[in-house]
Amino acid sequence: MSDASDLTRRDALKAAVGTVVASQVTALRAAAAAPALRFFTAEEFALADVLCELLIPADEHSPGARAAGAARYIDGRLAEAFTDEPRTTWRTGLELLDALARREQGRRFVDVAAPQQIVLLERLAANEQKPVSAEDRFFVELKRRTVHAYYTSRVGIHDELEYKGNVMLEEFVGTDVSGDR
Amino acid sequence: MPLLRVQTQAPREVDLLTTYDAVVVGSGAAGGMAAHVLTSRGLKVLLLEAGRKLDIDSELKSMEWPYDHPRRGSIPPTHHALSAKEYTIRQPPYAADSPYEKVYSYVQGWGGSDYSKNIVVDEKEHPYSGTSYAWVRARCLGGKTNIWGRLALRLSDYDFKAKTHDGYGEDWPIAYADIAPYYDRVDRYLGISGVRENLPHLPDSIYQRPTRLNAAEVKLRDAIGRMGRVLTPYRAGVTTDGLKHNKYRTRCFGRGACSRRAGGCDIHAAFDSPTGLIYPAMDTGNLTLRTNATAHAVTVDPVTGRARGVAFIDTETRKTYEVNAKVIVLAASTLESARLMLLSKSAAHPAGIGNSSGHVGHNFCEHVMGPSVYGLVKDLVAKPRTLDDGRPGGFYVARFRNLDTRQPDFIRGYGFEGGSGTGMFPDNAYSTAGFGSSFKKQVRDRAGAFISMGGFGEVLARYEHSVGIDPELKDRWGIPVLRFDYRFTDNEKKMCADMTATGREMFEAAGIEVLSADSDMLAEGWSIHELGTARMGADPKTSVLNGFQQSHDVKNLFVVDGSSHVSASCQNPTWTIMALAWRSCDYLADQMRQGAFS
Repeated sequence: MSDASDLTRRDALKAAVGTVVASQVTALRAAAAAPALRFFTAEEFALADVLCELLIPADEHSPGARAAGAARYIDGRLAEAFTDEPRTTWRTGLELLDALARREQGRRFVDVAAPQQIVLLERLAANEQKPVSAEDRFFVELKRRTVHAYYTSRVGIHDELEYKGNVMLEEFVGTDVSGDR
Repeated sequence: MPLLRVQTQAPREVDLLTTYDAVVVGSGAAGGMAAHVLTSRGLKVLLLEAGRKLDIDSELKSMEWPYDHPRRGSIPPTHHALSAKEYTIRQPPYAADSPYEKVYSYVQGWGGSDYSKNIVVDEKEHPYSGTSYAWVRARCLGGKTNIWGRLALRLSDYDFKAKTHDGYGEDWPIAYADIAPYYDRVDRYLGISGVRENLPHLPDSIYQRPTRLNAAEVKLRDAIGRMGRVLTPYRAGVTTDGLKHNKYRTRCFGRGACSRRAGGCDIHAAFDSPTGLIYPAMDTGNLTLRTNATAHAVTVDPVTGRARGVAFIDTETRKTYEVNAKVIVLAASTLESARLMLLSKSAAHPAGIGNSSGHVGHNFCEHVMGPSVYGLVKDLVAKPRTLDDGRPGGFYVARFRNLDTRQPDFIRGYGFEGGSGTGMFPDNAYSTAGFGSSFKKQVRDRAGAFISMGGFGEVLARYEHSVGIDPELKDRWGIPVLRFDYRFTDNEKKMCADMTATGREMFEAAGIEVLSADSDMLAEGWSIHELGTARMGADPKTSVLNGFQQSHDVKNLFVVDGSSHVSASCQNPTWTIMALAWRSCDYLADQMRQGAFS
């Protein structure tokens, strides 16, 4: 597992110095420069990366899923998965979203303008409590993996949530100071 | 990141030619305490542990960040942790025919735990059969104390004299006054944090400095206080001020790691049996420790019928040995001690050693879990980030049912464990709808504004609830395994319905918006509080042990773990297990001094 570990650390480092930027072209280039993908093809990775960033975008508060290396992390977990099931789910799911984009916008998902990408995802998100179509179900899986990858990342824990724990404290925190009554 | 690393003595070899004063089987809370008490009284003790001695600090890595782990803390993909569903839709053995290399109990699922995978057993090596049961076992030095939940509560005469109170089951052969001095000793020797509340049904300990409640918890405490109910800071078996007499442990530094993964404390502020009890016992020079030693029978002197020693198998070499002792002390855990007694059949004890009553394996009881409430404290939404998880636990709500009044449809009671505030991972992210910047903001704004609590209720001890030996199935070492015959019944179901209702009622009283109120029971075994199976009692016909956890049938056999408990109470058992073991081993040492076992 040491290679996976190195991979994650390098990703985190890269995220920290902000070398991964927003456009999908750059993302593709970054993917080419980064350590080899382990499951996704370059095209699949570009789409997954766009989707992750749409779900949890960079904004004025903090960097998003791209800077957190979410798609790269998901790639590693899918590559290692014990059964083919999650790999099939993702490969098929990404194809479904591309097909949806071609149907609705006449082009691949990554080539659709950002506002229209959001419109497409909003249709799937509307059913997230009760997914109906295969696309709906993939949205739930996409979001579950992205949420986990993002909020366990350096960016998610420190920049976004400003988590203050996992430190040595002299005194216990809290508002109740009544102590022993 | 261990603060200190004190070398323990190199383990000594077992002397198979000597007769030890006592052999203790099992090194968890009960076995560790037996080793501590007996060695400090000058007895020469051999401690047998079925598992390995782990380098526990390098297993736990309490402060490792998720992103510094290749799988963010999860077990390897070739390993599998059983899910809640697997326990309910299937029957044990759960790992039979599993394609995974290793299969663990559900406890490994908490946060996906690469950090405790070597602490809990591989279910493939340790099958069992019968009714559904989520049996969590830790085979290593210290057993489950390496990852226990740390809630350290006392029982009261509402528990010890429960039959007198409501007519059901049996009273214990001891009263609170008998065990109180030993609870005190456990408090002082191991350290406990909490706040005195002067409740007759939840007696106070001798506390080190308490952790603090956060804003949401104070709000709930004040509201339910007006209903006559008591919420107190988590009573944690954790030293918050330090222990001058123990060089292996450090005081708590509020790192918050105890609520992550499957628990565990690599600075040993939380009690664990190795640093709290066993290493100090080794320092007396009176303790020999033998790990990788699975006991499979208590051997018997055919002439006297008394226990002669313990037969064990080396888990690595598979060689078998027999070691002799004047007294045998079983502390292998509630279910493993029962298994060992049932396996120890001889001409003198055809139904298993100490089992002339036929009660070994019966009266099996525990705590039921599942009902819980989860709510949002609106005035905490979008407040600046606070540090809330630098504590060994949140809060405990003491039992309030069937004390001075009676519920119409169930007997006994339950308490709640709960907590509030920001953790490392925002659990609300999975349930927050939508995506994009507004999703991020909602997750962020609400991450510290949730509060939740879940009930732990007493499951009634019933004779027909039992474990026995499976006639065919064996573990990896060829030792016959347990078959379960155990299910929750009506009293538990009605109690759980009440837990959900009162949980909701208390949150509403505090102005907390209830987001969910679950009433489903988790699988049998989920609380990891197995009790009974070799209960104490005054009558040798209906009990296995006397009030000193000594076999009615075999005077040099003691069973000092949770199997001796007569009823489950609703309070977590570890502190009681240790207080009872201390009292019984004191008695054992007194008896030995008077020549009782010569």
